[in-house]
Amino acid sequence: MAKSVEGVGGLTYDKSKRSWPPELNVFAALVLIVLAFELIGRFFLNDSFLFNLRPDVPTFFNELRLQIIILQVAITGIIAIGVTQVIISGGIDLSSGSVVGATAMIAMAFAQIGVVNGNPNPTLALTPAYADLPVIVPIAVALACGLVAGLINGSLIAFTKIPPFIATLGMMVSARGVSKWLTKGKPESFPTEPYTFIGGGFMPVVIFIALAILFQLILTYTKYGKYCYAIGSNEEAARISGIKVENHKMLVYTIAAMLAALSALVLSSKNLTAQAGMGVGYELDAIAMAVIGGVSLSGGRGSIIGTVLGALIFGVIISGFTFMRLDAYYQEMVKGVIIVAAVVLDQYRQRSGARGK
Amino acid sequence: MKKLLLAAVAVMALTAPTLSTQAQAAKIGVSMAKFDDNFLTVLRNGMIAQAKGMSGVELQVEDAGNDVAKQLDQIKNFIASGVDAIIVNPVDTSATQAMSDAAAAGKKPLVYVNRQPINIDTLPANQAFVASNEADSGTLETKEICKILKAAGKKDANIYVMEGELSNQAAVQRTKDIHEVMAGPDCGVKLNIIAEQTANWSRDEAQNLMTNWISAGKPFDAVIANNDEMAIGILQAMKAAKMDMKTAIVGGVDATQDALASMAAGDLKATVFQNAAGQGAGALDAALKLAKGEKVERKVYIPFELVTPANLANYQKKN
Repeated sequence: MAKSVEGVGGLTYDKSKRSWPPELNVFAALVLIVLAFELIGRFFLNDSFLFNLRPDVPTFFNELRLQIIILQVAITGIIAIGVTQVIISGGIDLSSGSVVGATAMIAMAFAQIGVVNGNPNPTLALTPAYADLPVIVPIAVALACGLVAGLINGSLIAFTKIPPFIATLGMMVSARGVSKWLTKGKPESFPTEPYTFIGGGFMPVVIFIALAILFQLILTYTKYGKYCYAIGSNEEAARISGIKVENHKMLVYTIAAMLAALSALVLSSKNLTAQAGMGVGYELDAIAMAVIGGVSLSGGRGSIIGTVLGALIFGVIISGFTFMRLDAYYQEMVKGVIIVAAVVLDQYRQRSGARGK
Repeated sequence: MKKLLLAAVAVMALTAPTLSTQAQAAKIGVSMAKFDDNFLTVLRNGMIAQAKGMSGVELQVEDAGNDVAKQLDQIKNFIASGVDAIIVNPVDTSATQAMSDAAAAGKKPLVYVNRQPINIDTLPANQAFVASNEADSGTLETKEICKILKAAGKKDANIYVMEGELSNQAAVQRTKDIHEVMAGPDCGVKLNIIAEQTANWSRDEAQNLMTNWISAGKPFDAVIANNDEMAIGILQAMKAAKMDMKTAIVGGVDATQDALASMAAGDLKATVFQNAAGQGAGALDAALKLAKGEKVERKVYIPFELVTPANLANYQKKN
């Protein structure tokens, strides 16, 4: 049975070549890393990474640690969902982090309270007439920002045919300027109470998982999803088969930017502040999560499940290194090695598949 | 074509007088490490406000975007465009030798502001440094934390230390201050550091790091942070873990508006006011003096001031 592996796409894996989906490899990597930290903890630190050793707390697992592992990557994870569908469609989006910064600054300006501890709010970005607005206003403003940024990205890429790298790079730089412009670099703080519920407590994780499930279903079962894989695998073939590639690209980038805007809402709500420097580097972390999760940078392969697993791997590494009291630089070095290893493994998988092993 | 030429000459003739009056104003080139930093923005605005109040002073403020190479290029551009003096807020305090050399070669006076350059002791005669002495900030903060711990009746205490970006001299020095106070006679309590890690000045990173520390389950008495943003992140994490805010002892540095609000609400227990506007105005004064050829002290220190719930009200208008 002659099967060509190129262009198989991410929806199905070639059952004759492998008996399990590629995401299982990522899951195995996650389990291995967790096990490594657990063993290091037991042998060298007399402490446990996963399990609860404190006699005064009755839980089996160290629940706070499990929670922080996913909480600390949930916000970037929301961005990663958007970036995953962009990369699967054959593009790339470098502007997510800057869109987060600009959206946070603009949305928070409409979410501030007028009076703090009896004095007027010293960080008000707009006039006091805009203080104490209902929470739907900053939410709508944020989504509108995402919409505008996404439409600009999408139209540049779809209609002027410039490479996505350049178009989104331009947006990355300009949006960062926008985030510094609104308050000339000063932070905005003290949001209204309803606003704090958006990102408070475990909400970032709830929103992340809900969106992950939604987009996994969209990418697997809807026409939109199948078009993403088709365009990413072979754009010309997709166009010839009648798919409106330009419109689809607009949609993909708009959705990605709106997800970045949503993550800005969650981030500024969680931190009770918006600062012009927010989101710096988030786009690279998001892309790394997707790549580790099996998304191929040449398009056509990958899934949201993989991206969520990639995000969890990031979370485990951050918490594991803190558990080992190792400094941030070691974390960064290891992150880089893991990203490269993941892509090398991905290339090896592709090539061994093509050789018909 | 002739009309175009005539028009061009007319424009030049009209602007020539204004060009010559502009030459009498003092032009100062300013390169800030970042525009999107809370504290540095107050500093920058202090400089701009001071310049507005003086006649004939023109400021050109550039954002180095936390990029060392970009900052050096900006300085070279200032020299080439003929400014009278340069003010630099260094991105990386170990990379300032090249900047001093460039300014000296271009015969322009240069003033470093807020972050101490590594070549502070070998600065040429027309270069100066205006800041607050970081040896005081961490010291004031730690001594206050010791005082609070002692008042709570502790003989020894376990603490966490959260550092700023380790490429900033401020983070390194403030952490060193903590160690020096611990080793010296001024702290009435024996402090043990459980862990010392960086959260890069960021509130979000601090919140995540503190939650990770809390999940390790080790009992602790206080957390000393290199700046207010991280202190606030620490307090947010402690609140989320349902710890008692009244007995939580957390210290920061900067006395930002957010920190003062937190202190007024009873959460933050100590912070240190760094007079950003004062540093900006001081740097501008030094630059103008050097531009005129006058002598200036090589190191001008604007003092740090300890802020506690007791004297909080004095600082609410300042940053």
